[in-house]
Amino acid sequence: MAQDFNSVRSALASSRGRLLPQAHVVATGVGYKVTRGARTNALSIVCSVREKVALDRLRPQDRVPPTIDGIPTDVVATGVIRAFQARTARHRPAPGGVSIGHRNITAGTLGCLVKREGQVVVLSNNHVLANSNDALRGDAILQPGPHDGGTFPADHIADLHDFVPITFQEPPSECGFAGGVIAVLNAGCRLIGSRTRYRSVNIQPAENRVDAAIARPLAPNLVKDEILEIGTISGLGSGSLGTAIKKSGRTTGLTTGEVLQVDVTVNVQYGPGQVAQFTDQLLAGAMSQGGDSGSAVLDNGNRLIGLLFAGSDNSTIINRIEHVFSELRLTL
Amino acid sequence: MKRVVAAVVLLLLSWTGSAAESDMPPTIQDVKARHASRLLAMPGVMSVGIGRGGEGHEVIVIGLDHARPQTQSKLPLQLEGYGVRVEIIGSVKAQ
Repeated sequence: MAQDFNSVRSALASSRGRLLPQAHVVATGVGYKVTRGARTNALSIVCSVREKVALDRLRPQDRVPPTIDGIPTDVVATGVIRAFQARTARHRPAPGGVSIGHRNITAGTLGCLVKREGQVVVLSNNHVLANSNDALRGDAILQPGPHDGGTFPADHIADLHDFVPITFQEPPSECGFAGGVIAVLNAGCRLIGSRTRYRSVNIQPAENRVDAAIARPLAPNLVKDEILEIGTISGLGSGSLGTAIKKSGRTTGLTTGEVLQVDVTVNVQYGPGQVAQFTDQLLAGAMSQGGDSGSAVLDNGNRLIGLLFAGSDNSTIINRIEHVFSELRLTL
Repeated sequence: MKRVVAAVVLLLLSWTGSAAESDMPPTIQDVKARHASRLLAMPGVMSVGIGRGGEGHEVIVIGLDHARPQTQSKLPLQLEGYGVRVEIIGSVKAQ
C-alpha cells in the first residue's frame, strides 16, 4: 500500500537519529522504493550506505530494519559523500586542475605531474610558475595561487625548478643613438656617391613554441597524479585537425573542444605593450578563461596532447606537448 | 665492381628523387610559413594557421582582433593555390 508522504517524513524524523550512527549509513531521505532495479510506487525511507554488506556480516545494531513504523526501507549504495571542494581552495594532495601560482602572480592552473630526470615535478605555464621570466629557480610556488588566498609559507607547495624563457617583441625602434649613427652613415654614403642606405630595425626575436615551467613539490605526498574530473593520463598524444580535446582548469573546470587550427603563428598579449609571438600552436574554440592557463589538454583517450596558455573570447591557444617535453626534457 | 654499380645507381636514384621533390608544388605549411610574418605585420592580424575549409580541404586561416575593413580589403583570397579564410578571433591574451 502506498504510504502518505507526511507519515513517511514523520517516521524518518523519528528514526533518523538511530539510522545515521549505523556503521555504513551516510545519508537518509524519503524516496520511492526500488525493487530489482525498477522503481515502485511505494514511498520508503532510503538509507544511503557506503557499500552494501551482507546482513550476517553486520552487527545487529548496524542492520537497517526492513520496515520502520510500518514504512518500508530501501538501502542504496552511494559511496562516501564528500564536500565539493572548489578548484580555488587549498588541496592536499593537490591534483591537476586546481589553482596554483608563483608567489608574485595572481593564479593559474596546476596542469599535471610529469617527470624530469625521474623526479616528479608539477607542469604549468612560465607565466603561472615563473612570473613571465621574472623569477629565480627555487622561488616559492603557492597552492592555491595568491589571488585565491594562497599565502607564504602556509600554502607553499613547491619550488620553481625550471622554465623556458619567453621572448617578447620589442617595440618599434626609437633608439636615438641608433638613429644618429644611421644619419652619419647615410650622409657618408651620399658623400661618396653610394646608393646604399642604412636604417635601424629591432632584431627580430626568436620564435617561442612554449609558455612552460616546472616546479618541484616540497614532498611527494603534497601532489596527486590525477587531473580533476579527467583522471589519470594514459600516455602522450599529438593534436591534429579535428582532434576532440578536453581540459580541467581553475576557472572554467572541465570543458571540451576540438582542434580547429594547427601550425598556428599567433601574437599573444601578456600585459600592456607586452606581446610575444608563438609558432606551431594548436587553436581550439572557446574553452577557457583567465586563470585556466597551465591546464593540461588531453584527447578522448586521456593522452596528453598540450598545455593551455592563452585565448580570446572565442579561441583557445595550446602549446604542443611535444615541444613542452623536448624543451624542458620531460617524461611521463 | 658490383658495389660501384650499386653506388652509381643509388646516386642516380637520389638525384632523380630530389629533382622530383623540387618540382612538387609547395605544401600548405611551406606557403603559410612564407607569408605568416608579412600577414602578422598588418594591423589587427592576430594569428595565421592551417584549418579546414567548408569542403574538408586545408586552408590558411587568418585571425583578426575585430572587423578591420582596411586590412580585410588587402588580405589575399588565396595564397599560392591554397584557399584563405578570414575569421574574427578577438585579441589573444595570456590567461
